[in-house]
Amino acid sequence: MKAVLKKYTLTVVSIVSIAATVLWLFGLGWTLQDQFSTNKKVSQLKEKTESTSTEKQDGTLTIFALGDSLTRGTGDADGKGYTGYLTERLKEKTDQDINLLNTAIKGETSRGLLKQLQQSEIQRQAKQADVIVMTIGGNDLFQQGAALENLDDNAINGKKQIYLSNVKKIYTQLRELNPEAVIYHVGLYNPFSNMPDSKTTSSIVRDWNFQSAETAAGFDNIVYVPTFDLFQLQVENYLYTDQFHPNTEGYKLIAERVASLIKFEQEENES
Amino acid sequence: MINLVRNEMLKLLRKKRLYVIILIIAFLVPLFTYAQFKEIQDQREKMGNQDWRTTLQQEITDTQNRLSSSRIQDEWRKFLKIRLSQQQYYLENDIDPRAPGAPTFMRIFVENSIDLLLPLLVMVIVADLVSSESSGGTIKLLLTRPVKRWRILLSKYLAMLLSISFIVLSVAVLSYGISGVVFGYGGWNMPLLTGFTVSGDELLTENVHIVPQWQYILMEFGLVWYVCMIVGTLTFMLSVLLRSTAAVMGIMLASLIAGAILANMVSSWESAKYFFMVNLNLTNYVSGMATPIEGMSLGFSMSVLAVWGIAGFIIAFVTFSKRDIY
Repeated sequence: MKAVLKKYTLTVVSIVSIAATVLWLFGLGWTLQDQFSTNKKVSQLKEKTESTSTEKQDGTLTIFALGDSLTRGTGDADGKGYTGYLTERLKEKTDQDINLLNTAIKGETSRGLLKQLQQSEIQRQAKQADVIVMTIGGNDLFQQGAALENLDDNAINGKKQIYLSNVKKIYTQLRELNPEAVIYHVGLYNPFSNMPDSKTTSSIVRDWNFQSAETAAGFDNIVYVPTFDLFQLQVENYLYTDQFHPNTEGYKLIAERVASLIKFEQEENES
Repeated sequence: MINLVRNEMLKLLRKKRLYVIILIIAFLVPLFTYAQFKEIQDQREKMGNQDWRTTLQQEITDTQNRLSSSRIQDEWRKFLKIRLSQQQYYLENDIDPRAPGAPTFMRIFVENSIDLLLPLLVMVIVADLVSSESSGGTIKLLLTRPVKRWRILLSKYLAMLLSISFIVLSVAVLSYGISGVVFGYGGWNMPLLTGFTVSGDELLTENVHIVPQWQYILMEFGLVWYVCMIVGTLTFMLSVLLRSTAAVMGIMLASLIAGAILANMVSSWESAKYFFMVNLNLTNYVSGMATPIEGMSLGFSMSVLAVWGIAGFIIAFVTFSKRDIY
């Protein structure tokens, strides 16, 4: 009996193995044919785009965050940044699900952000958003603290003009993508306000903020959120060890400020 | 000849090695399935109930943020850059490369086991094919029969080929069957992109085209089988050369693991690309990953492996037919 069984298994295993060999050889041949022949119909690909849904999800509040390291949360011990704390605050206020999409990139300048906004997926997410929060400009002005050495008016004015024209384009683009969501553009603070040159630097940042707010005022539903005052006193308590980015406490301050501006029932009305 | 192969297959089955290997796979697959399942669940929890585009976009921005860090290694930066452009490409073409499903699991599983796990399993079968006969003394009985020596060795080689096919098949069946319980059995027709070529740290996309997942998987299994055959042939050669099965296993084990380590650190030592163990990751060419050493391509790696395989085959047969048996 046992011998019969063995013989039976042997035949089965052998036949299966032979079949498998043929199958794998076929797969191997197909790989060679597929990978080494070059005239492929790439055009077929292009038709598949633009079929994505851009519908807003009901019952959830989608926050779309974009910008630079501040939005990313650099310096926060928990890595949440103000967007994370903002979400937490809002969750306390509402039963709605909150969906946070954070596409911020460290070191992003206004030019980089404008480029990022050309990507189809970013655009799709922007369309879905109920609330848009952004920080931009810090890297245009400070360039990782480098601008501080050079307080020359002309140089800063030049940067400002470039920045302002980029921001205008960013606003226009966002409005085009999503005419309804309120955009909260979080303003700059002066990380150097406890340093010797603070009078000059503060005035530069104030002016920068003013001009940005002026630009924002030219659009519907764009709120330029000031943070300058938050960090004006005791800046050292709110900065991370790099003396540039906020720390956890600093981010919480920003988040609170933004959270107080977001209303639930009528999102169309700005506060 | 057929009877000789039958005889060898019978010996293989007697040794119960094949069952052991199937058991190993059957034990590992649920493990990986669970890990994968946990990962997906974790992602869902973290990101809320979002569609994959958002997740992929998030991953892209995370990578961009990592790239902007200055402490990152050049090697790693290159790898991230290539992956980044690939993800971007998937996103632009509206294809989810990781939609969960048993076929996707299968694909990820073989892609990750092609360079170490599967060669090890093959090695377990092949290592003592010939050496056990010499150490056990049965080789004399085998060679007293009125059959030419090379035919005997060929029958062993064919038995090896069949059992490798069998192992690869059981990997396919088991990984599909077991992971399907969790992920569902669908997803064979999901489109995937292949044909990426890497040059420097650029990802060239002119040859990129869509294949359905079932074809993609079949192609990858073809490559897996090829790699297993080469590793099998080399093990087979060692098994002829050495009397001790332990020595065969030791050498193969060492070189396979050395390959895995080398692949991570040879980028500046260019001639290392002629080692067989650096070239085992053939599936990476299909999915478009960065190569360990610049200038490697699917054609190159397959040729290197072929040369090693053919050399091993010839050495094995010549030694076996010339050797004195006592």
